[in-house]
Amino acid sequence: MDLRIRRAQATSERRRRRSMKVVGKLAWPAAILTIVFTAPCRAEDANTATVSKQAVQAKLAYCEVCHGVSAQGFNGYYPIPRLAGQQIAYIENELQGFVEHKRTNNIMFNVGHVLSPAMIRALATDFHDLNPKPLGGGPKELAPTGEKIFHEGVPDAGVPPCASCHGPEAKGNEQFPRLAGQLYPYVVSQLTNWSNERRETNSNVMEPIAHGLTPPQVKAVAAYLSHLE
Amino acid sequence: MRSLRLKLALLTASFALGFTGAAPGRDIDAASSQGVQAKIGYCKDCHGPSAQGYNGYFPIPRLAGQQPEYLQNQLHAFIEHRRTNNIMFNVAHALNPGMIAALAENFEKLNPPPVGGAPRGIAAKGKDIFENGVPEDNVAACAACHGPEATGSGIIPRLAGQLYPYVIKELTNWGKERGQNPEIRDTSAIMSPVAHSLTKPQIEAVAAFVSDLK
Repeated sequence: MDLRIRRAQATSERRRRRSMKVVGKLAWPAAILTIVFTAPCRAEDANTATVSKQAVQAKLAYCEVCHGVSAQGFNGYYPIPRLAGQQIAYIENELQGFVEHKRTNNIMFNVGHVLSPAMIRALATDFHDLNPKPLGGGPKELAPTGEKIFHEGVPDAGVPPCASCHGPEAKGNEQFPRLAGQLYPYVVSQLTNWSNERRETNSNVMEPIAHGLTPPQVKAVAAYLSHLE
Repeated sequence: MRSLRLKLALLTASFALGFTGAAPGRDIDAASSQGVQAKIGYCKDCHGPSAQGYNGYFPIPRLAGQQPEYLQNQLHAFIEHRRTNNIMFNVAHALNPGMIAALAENFEKLNPPPVGGAPRGIAAKGKDIFENGVPEDNVAACAACHGPEATGSGIIPRLAGQLYPYVIKELTNWGKERGQNPEIRDTSAIMSPVAHSLTKPQIEAVAAFVSDLK
């Protein structure tokens, strides 16, 4: 029942976003026209809307210092998540979240607050197009249990199937993140600390689910996802 | 090719030992505690009495409290010419894998106070770079990988208490000293862009900050 309501909400949300996308598509030519016609006297405004290829490449190299070669994720002192193949809207949303302190992470706040919206969009697009192999690392023996939870949920505990929002292949959809190939310890830490770290982004949807999963169930799901291409 | 030859040599050696019966094959990888203690004494000649580091002709790094996985990786890097250092090549290539593991474990347990000696005035700036990076110059926060207390993790080294001139030397010469064997990929590549993006004063500030951390 609960799930059906949530699905309906998700559908209307998707419709709303699609209509926003159309507005967005119309807005782009308008913005370009504006920039073109005011270009000589408005160089500063134009700078915030575009970003040089060179600057994007330098910033990508900087991101990959921590997020790993091809952004496949990296086990630093903290598990640093895979960004490769991630949904563009999700990356934009999270970076915004760090800057606005809706998601607490001091390192990512510092990273995020110097990025212009155009840079964020460029980075997110680049990461979305990468497709390295998963780093793996989750205990393989837990994966079958995780696969079952991912596709069927835990109805008795009110946990819906992860696949209903993240997709049957865990590739995500716009604001719903891709989970396929995500680092095992990262998924475990996120699901364990959900409410301590994420507030007011679109994270409320996940809150009861994160709380509904037991620690062994969290590990099983994380193990399954960590090997998924 | 070299590693194949090494494997063959080890295999031959283990056969020889196996057939002489006196020592089982696994002793090739294991190291007697007496042998380990003797070797630790030898390491401390240069790395300081508690492996806290020592300012010799070159700054000789602190090994105390270091991550065992990092130490092992570096010793193998010297042997495989991934990291160029003639003195450490000579030290390392005489060590068998069992000895390397035993030494690394021993050094991790030591915890002497830092040698210190860095200019204190620049440490606050170093702390800021360590914790926050320099995002506008694409310098990642050191803490993301080395941890908030600079204790490191696995293959990522502890920096807390490391010698001020040693950290400066490493960050300044990164690409000339590490990742030198084009045939063997190496995690040192991760640090390359960071080392290159830092200015000299920034390097000195970070080095000053970590050198006094316990």
